[in-house]
Parts: sequence; structure tokens; C-alpha cells
Amino acid sequence: MNDFIHGSLYGGGIIVVLLTVTAMALWFERKMAGRMHSRLGPTIVGPFGLLQPVADVVKLLQKEDITPEKADAALFNLAPPMGAIAAIAVAAVIPFSSSIVAADLEVGVLYLLAIGALGVLPVFIAGWGSNNKFAMLGGMRAIAQSVSYEVPLVLAAMVPVILSGSMKVSDIVAYQAAHHWMVTWPFFLGIPAFAIFMLAMLAEANRIPFDIPEAESELVAGITTEYTGMKFALFYVAEYVHTLVASAVGAALFLGGWDGPFAPGIWWMVAKTLVLFAFIYWTRYSLLRFRSDQLMALCWRWLVPTGVVLVAASAVWVVFAG
Amino acid sequence: MTQKPSHRVDPHLVIEKYDPEAELMLMHFGPQHPSTHGVFRMDLFLDGEIIVKAVPHCGYLHRAVEKLCEKLAYVQITPIVDKNDYVAPMTNEQSLVMIFEAMLKLEVPRRARWIRTIFAELQRIASHLLWLGTFSLDLGGALGGGTTVFMYCFRERELILDLFEEVTGARFHYNTHTIGGNRHDLPKGWSQKVLAAMDTIAQRIPEYEAMTTQNRIFQQRTRGVGVLDGELALELGITGPILRASGIDHDLRRDAPFHAYDEVKVNVKTAEGGDCLARAEVRVEEMKESVRLVREMVGAVPEGPINSGKPVKLPVQTKIPVGQTYVGIETPRGELGGWLVADGTQFPYRLKIRPPSLHAVSALPYLLPGQTVSDAIAILGSLDPIMGEVDR
Amino acid sequence: MAVNEEPKAALATASRTHTSDDAGHFQHPLYQVTLQTPGLSVGTAVFDDLMTWGLKNALWMFPMATSCCGIEFMAGAASRVDMDRMGVIIRATPRHADVMVVAGTITTKMAPRVLKLWEQMPEPKWCIAMGSCAISGDFYRNLYSVVPGIDTFLPVDVYVPGCPPNPEALMAGMIKLQEKISLQRTGKFVTPEVKPELLKITNPSVPRLNDPARRPEQNHEQELSADSPTVDEATAPLEVAAEGPAPELSPLTSPDFEGLLKELGIAELPKDGPPIIPLEQHLALARKLKSLGYRQLVTIAATHWLAGKGRKGADEAEPEHFEIAYALRTVGMGSRVAAWAVRVKAGQPVLTLSGIFAGADWQEREQYDLLGVTFAGHPDLRRLMLTENYVGHPLRREFPADAHWAPWR
Repeated sequence: MNDFIHGSLYGGGIIVVLLTVTAMALWFERKMAGRMHSRLGPTIVGPFGLLQPVADVVKLLQKEDITPEKADAALFNLAPPMGAIAAIAVAAVIPFSSSIVAADLEVGVLYLLAIGALGVLPVFIAGWGSNNKFAMLGGMRAIAQSVSYEVPLVLAAMVPVILSGSMKVSDIVAYQAAHHWMVTWPFFLGIPAFAIFMLAMLAEANRIPFDIPEAESELVAGITTEYTGMKFALFYVAEYVHTLVASAVGAALFLGGWDGPFAPGIWWMVAKTLVLFAFIYWTRYSLLRFRSDQLMALCWRWLVPTGVVLVAASAVWVVFAG
Repeated sequence: MTQKPSHRVDPHLVIEKYDPEAELMLMHFGPQHPSTHGVFRMDLFLDGEIIVKAVPHCGYLHRAVEKLCEKLAYVQITPIVDKNDYVAPMTNEQSLVMIFEAMLKLEVPRRARWIRTIFAELQRIASHLLWLGTFSLDLGGALGGGTTVFMYCFRERELILDLFEEVTGARFHYNTHTIGGNRHDLPKGWSQKVLAAMDTIAQRIPEYEAMTTQNRIFQQRTRGVGVLDGELALELGITGPILRASGIDHDLRRDAPFHAYDEVKVNVKTAEGGDCLARAEVRVEEMKESVRLVREMVGAVPEGPINSGKPVKLPVQTKIPVGQTYVGIETPRGELGGWLVADGTQFPYRLKIRPPSLHAVSALPYLLPGQTVSDAIAILGSLDPIMGEVDR
Repeated sequence: MAVNEEPKAALATASRTHTSDDAGHFQHPLYQVTLQTPGLSVGTAVFDDLMTWGLKNALWMFPMATSCCGIEFMAGAASRVDMDRMGVIIRATPRHADVMVVAGTITTKMAPRVLKLWEQMPEPKWCIAMGSCAISGDFYRNLYSVVPGIDTFLPVDVYVPGCPPNPEALMAGMIKLQEKISLQRTGKFVTPEVKPELLKITNPSVPRLNDPARRPEQNHEQELSADSPTVDEATAPLEVAAEGPAPELSPLTSPDFEGLLKELGIAELPKDGPPIIPLEQHLALARKLKSLGYRQLVTIAATHWLAGKGRKGADEAEPEHFEIAYALRTVGMGSRVAAWAVRVKAGQPVLTLSGIFAGADWQEREQYDLLGVTFAGHPDLRRLMLTENYVGHPLRREFPADAHWAPWR
């Protein structure tokens, strides 16, 4: 019972904080994109345009809710909440400090990967249920991409698990706090694994350069082509939550999580997450988009073999040097 | 000139002959689609994501310009054709007034010809900048790296529009060319502003190259995609950068000089690939060449009158004697010309405009089969079609 | 009379686009429930302000950008103007958008698609007509293929005039729309009354749908001749200040072409146009020219000559005929053009050139579409510009350029 209350309280708190941060992330992204484009971004709605995401959500709330006549209504309406839940649920096992964690599971990393992989299901459901050719192509691309990138993601996540000897996320962070961050030593294992992990996470979250499932220039708006109002907003938010959570997971598994001097752990965790998040958007506004077959080639030709080597090497490292 | 192995695709493929068992998906791509550069429709028959057959449909912006021209006096037509190729209105006007001048046997003063040349080259830079921006938008998405290039290109394009605005008073649709010369003379201090703008652009072109033609992802997306062999390009009547990217050294600025191109040396840029990357490279190189030409010419504009004809009070005063002729000039998109049939009145009897974009778009049934949907975007974008010109 | 059926269908469906209340604007069911619950009225005032604020400040545009205005529309989103400052961004799908910005000319072929996209947009939605083509059809308005203003089939909220309007003007239009939204929600928006006497004074050049001021029996040609200058008196020939020899811009013949023509028995070239080749030698000439180096297809242009008209010296007995001109070009330095023409009677086919020059395919389709010239052996002779069910060939001389036959008149 105690665990239940603890989980609900922390879980509720984390969800509220996460959604607020997501709203601010929307603002941050538009501002940052604006600066990169030598323009200003939102300035008029609220001070520095800070209320822009609020206005967006208020507006989306009022939009007409359309279910296309020929669409599969059940699937069509199921997909958006499912996507949002899958994205938020991952946050449950992330330790934001040594004590702030909703559910510190023994198999935290496994949970993380499993629930993260669930995110592709609503995308495919949306693509299929919309009964729209653009959406369907987007869904097909998404499932091919996510299933492929699941493999390097798991392999890269195995490296910290093997090195620390635990699948519990808080144990991995504690191990890093006690010894060294994964990316600092052994860096020849940590840095490649971190890179693969972030690339695969980007692909899972459908961000540029891996955003081909919703390639606007090709597929209009991909899977969200037929969605209006709040249903679209759920997808929109899920995307940002997914990116944010991916940054948090990356920070926890490879960058030492809440470990850091001078300040309480929570600040370190938030700072690392936001730096990773900003990095993702920096990449997004700098790179063009891959074609889907090139994306697959990158995964199977480079990321998977490297991942396998890394896993083997970390096992060897643990036995002989660890 | 090298000849690549000709891969003649049958543009009129009968789907049943391709594979009666195949369940092809018919995708209507357009007319309103973020990447169709206006209103253009392609019916793509897809086998998975591979295009089996492509049927382009145009005419969604068919504004009946040729019919309109038959009802308008000669001097009234110039502002109409501005709207045909709305990315390069200057060269549109020029091609049109040059047909009339050829029919009237009018000589344009040297100063006017120099001004026209400078306008044409500035317009080429502006047009190619817009193309580079929208092409990157096609490849990179509206919420990605493509937008960044797009914004940069538009930022520099505004510099050129400002220069035009200072001379003509309009951002585009200038109506600055008249039969026999120009309407607006260059204002004082304009050449200094041009040089300053050219310095900025020359400095920034390498930045665009780093983001596009020298970028790994850009190269992967465009190399070997949509290979157009030179012979087919000639047969289709494709001109301009697309033809030069297929390895054919042909540029009317050098080969049949008009304006003041016979007084300056134009270096024609070609590429051998014939693919989307080659087209991009040729256009970027042409921008550099245009910057050089403008820098060279703007300080050396000869003095003299800018118009040879007496100003006309009424539009109907200009009459063209009976005859037929064709005049084509090199615009940013290729050879833009017009076939004029005059019957001695103040209205053209028939004016057929020869748009380079229509010929470029007609290559799509040959280029698309065998490529994916993502490539279709890149190929269409690399042809740089302007729908106002395709449909007229 | 040739009538395109598509706009009629578009107009028939136009009436069912609104799902608004009596005040003329859409309201979300949630909003109405809150409004009708007793005791909540104090709360709803604040709530309503918040909702209106949200609607106003997050206007996402759907780019119905067809032509020139589309470029300025893009410039509006680009760095210098940056509409993102006020929260206005572009969404590619109508399902996400609030404002449809119709930027550019809408043709009769495009109009049904515009209407369909408008219907796909979720309420509440608005429409901005950007540029004079979208507002009135501009100088294309009387022509056979252009809709004279989108308000003939769409409810327009804000008009942004200009040709094209500057990006700043579009932004000003957006601000006007914001004002309109807040006024509509508070019920203060007054729909401007249409005063018939005003219509009479300003004499709008573009008649609106069901406008009593414009009667179909009124003849446009009478109108034109009434206020146009007296043509024949004013035609002084243009004074030519040519000093040197006139520049030979694009001579349509060259020695090798002339030699080829001599082989065909045409020794003397006509002064007023390209040489006319007998129909049966047409393909052979094209092949020979291609082998001579004229490898690039330039253009194919057909001209319709009514009976009694034609080139210089045509007599009254000349029947109605078409003259189809072909132009080819050599590649490289000293590029030359070779042009010839064939003459056919109305309805008589010409052999297609598409077997020799692949580009002739589309060129011939265009001439077939607009002039009704048929090409024998063409692999795919369909209309290129107009819809398949279009009746008539608009570039024929007898086809009216500015008549009131369009269905929305």
C-alpha cells in the first residue's frame, strides 16, 4: 500500500512537471529555431512569447473534433491517448534524484525499453486507422524504422547494464556516482554506446534526421494528417514528451544522472536532460532528412554491428579490467 | 559531352502490362501539397514505395494568359507576363519586349541593354536562392534543417528585392521594361548598394554550400537520383541549368548573345551527373558566376539614353507589322521565348509563350519510375518548376 | 456555348460549409453547455475571454498558395517579417489549420479542390483572400478558366489587397482577423451592410454572385468599346530612333536549313513567317534537321486563321485553317533556330512529332487542348491544361475571351 501511495504521488508529480516542462519545451524549441533562422520566434503572446504554447493548447481544445467518415473510428480515436500514455509511462523509472523516482523497478532498463517500444504501436494504429494514404505510408515507415532501431537501442542500453551489473536505473546512476560516468571511463565503450543510444532514441521518437514517418514535405503530415484539435495535440505533446524522456534516460544511463558536485542531484539531472534536449533540437534544425532505405542501411550496417561489438567488449572489460 | 547510358522509360506504360497481379496503390500527389511548388498534381502508381508509373497533371493554374494577350495592346502585355514566372519576373518582361523589338526592328540603346543584363543577373541570383531554399525545404522538412536553409536564402533574396524596389518601386511584378528600352533609370548610389549586397551574398554562398551540396545527407539524398541523360533532355526541349547539369554545354547568354552579353564573358557551368545533385551544383555555381558578372558590370554601365522609342501616350499606338517570329532568351530556368503572330494591328494575333518549366516538368514521367516517394520530391524540386509558367 | 461544369458542382456544395449558430460563428459544444448552465455565467465570462485569447493568438495557416502571392506568403514566414512572432505558423494539412490563406489565382480546375480542402478544415475556421486574384480575379477575371474572386464560393473574412501584397500586408491582415475574432466572440462584430446605392456609385468591375447590378444580357464588348479610346484616330506609328542596323536577334533560318528547304523545292522563303512545308514531308524534314544538329525542340505553336484571314495576300476565298509552327535549335556556340510550319484544314490531323522529339508529346497535347488541332499517331492525346469534360477550344479565334458565359455570372 505504501508503495502504491508513493508511486501515485511521485508519478502524479512527475507527470505534472513533465507536461509543464513540455509546454516550455515547445516555446524553447520555437525560440531556438527562430534564433537559428536569424528571426525572433514568438514575442507577442505573453512576455517573450512565453504563453505561446498555452495559447496553442487553448486553441486546439476548441477545435472541432473530426473523425473521417471512412476511417476506422475505434482505432482512430484510440491512437492519440495511447501514444501520450506510452510516452509518459517511460518517465516512471527515471530517477530524478537519489530519492525522487516514481517506481524504482528491479528491471528498470527492461521496462524502459519495452514501454518505449510500445510508442510505435499507436503510430501504426493511427496510420492504419486514418484510412489516408499519406498516413498509411507514414505508419508503415514508422514500424519499419522503430522495429529496426529497437535492436541498436537495446544493445547500447546493455553496455551500462553490464558495466554496472544491474538493471535497476537508480543502481546504474549510483554506480556512476560511486565510480565514474559511463562516458568518461571506459570512454571507448561509453561514448560510442551513448551515441548509438541517442541516435536510436531519436529514431524512436521520430525526430530529424529520422522523422521520415511524418516527413511534412513528402507525406503532408504523415500519421497525424487526419487528426484535428486535441487528438492532434496529444500526438504533438507525446512527441515532445518522448524526446524529453529520451534525453532524461540518456542522462541517467550515460551521463551520471543526478550525480554532480555543489548542487542537489535534481538540478544536475534537470540540467543534463535539458542540455541533451537542446542538443536534439540543434541537430533537428541543422540537418536534412534521410530517405527510409538509407535509414535502414545506417541501422543495420553500422549501428547494429557496432552495438554487438560494444556489448561483447563490455563483457570482456568487466571480466578482465572491472 | 559524354553520353550516359540512355534509360528510356516508357511514359505511357500500361499498368496491366507491368504486372497484372500487382496491387498497386494510386497516390494523388497534389494539387495542393507542400512540396509541389504550387499547384501541380502527379498520379503515382506505387508498388510499396517504389513508383511504377507517374502521370503528371498540370493546368491547375491555367490563367489563359495567351488568350488575354490577344485582347491587349502590345505595351499592356508586359505587366501580364510578369505573373507567369513569378520567381523571375524581370526576365519574363525582357523576353517579351525583345520579341516586339525584333518585330519592330528597334535597336535598344546600349545603356538600356546593360541595365537589362544587370537586372537579369540579379534576378538569376534571387531566383536560384529561392530555388535552393525551397529545395532544401523539400529535402529537410518544414520543421527541420531545410527550414534553416530556406530562411537564410530568403534573407539574402530580400537584399536583391530591395535593390529592385529602389529602381522600380515594386518588390516584384516590376513592369520596368518597355518596347525599345527601360522605363526606370538607375538611381544615384545604386551601384554601391549593389556591390554591398553582392559582397554579402558572395560571402554567404559558401555557407549554403556547406549546408547543402557539401552536406553528406544532402548528397545521399540527391546523388544518382533522377538521372536525366543529355539526349533525352534535348529532345524534351529542356534548357537552362537542368540541361547543363546533364553535361550539355549550352547557354543562350553565350551561344546566341542578347542584351549586353556579347560585351562580357560568360563562363558556362556544366556538370556531368545529370542527377539532382548535379542540378543543385550547377545552380550554386551559376549564382557565383552571376555575382561576378554583376560586380563587373555595375560599375561600368555606359552613359546614354535608356529608351529609343518615343514614349507612347496610348497603349494602342504601338502597331507591329504583319509577320511571325520567335525570340528566346536565357532566364534562370532556361530558354523563355515567344512565338508571335502579328497581323498589323495593335493587338497580337497569337502569342505562344514558350515556358522552360513546362518542358522541365514533361520529363517527370521519364525520371520518376523506379524511384521512391521521397525521391519524387527531390526530383520535382530539382527541376525547379514554376507553375505560373507551366500552366500560364 | 462552351461551359465547364465543375464550378457549378463547386457552387452547389458551397452552401453547406457553415455549421455556425445564429450569430454567424461557430461555437464549440463545450462552450454552449457552459453558457447554458445557470450560475456559471460569471465564470464563463472569464472562461470565454481565455478561449478567445487562445483562438486569437494561435492562428495556424493553411497555405492555399497557388501563384505569385504564394511567394510573398512564404516571405511572410521567413526571417524579415517572421509571422511566428504572433504565433502564426504554417501547417501543411487542412486538419491542423485555422486560417486558410488563399494566395493566388484560383482557376475553375482548382476551385473544387479549394472547396474540398476548406471543408476538411475543422471549425472554427477563417479565410483570408490574399492578393487581387483571390479577391476579384484581377485582370484574369473575365477569362474562360479563372474564378473571379474566391468569395464566389468561399466565405472570406479578411481581404488583403495588392498584386502581390507585401508580407507586411499579410501580417496586417492577420491582425485584422484577430480583431474580428474577438469582436465576433463578444457579439460586437457588425457585418457591414451591402448598400445597393453604393454598389451603383463605385460600379465594381467584378460582379459578385447573384449581384443584381450585373445582368447577363449586358454585352461586355459594348462596354469595352464605350470607354476605350478611339482606336483608329490615335494610332500614330511608333517613332523609331534606330541609328545602326537592327540587331538580328533570332533569325529563323540559316544556310543549312535553307539548303534543306531547296531540296524540298522551296526556294523562296516567305517574308511574313516560317516556310510552309507540305504535310507529307513534315516528318522527313524534322528527321533531317535532327541529323543536321538541330537536336533541341524549342516549341510547337499553332495559330487559328478564320475563313478569309491568313498570311499576307490571303484572299477572301481562304477557308478556315490552322498553321502549326515548329521550331528546333542547335546546341552550343552560335546556336541557330530552324522554324517551319504546316497548314491544315480544321479537323485534318497532322502527323505527330513525338516519335522523333519526346518533348513534342506535351507540346502537341497543349495545342490539341487549346486549339483543337489533332495529331495522328500521338500516343496519349488528352487535354493538358483544362479538365477532361471541358467543351470547346479556347484559343480558337471565335472563342470569346471576355464573355459572360461563365456559370457564376
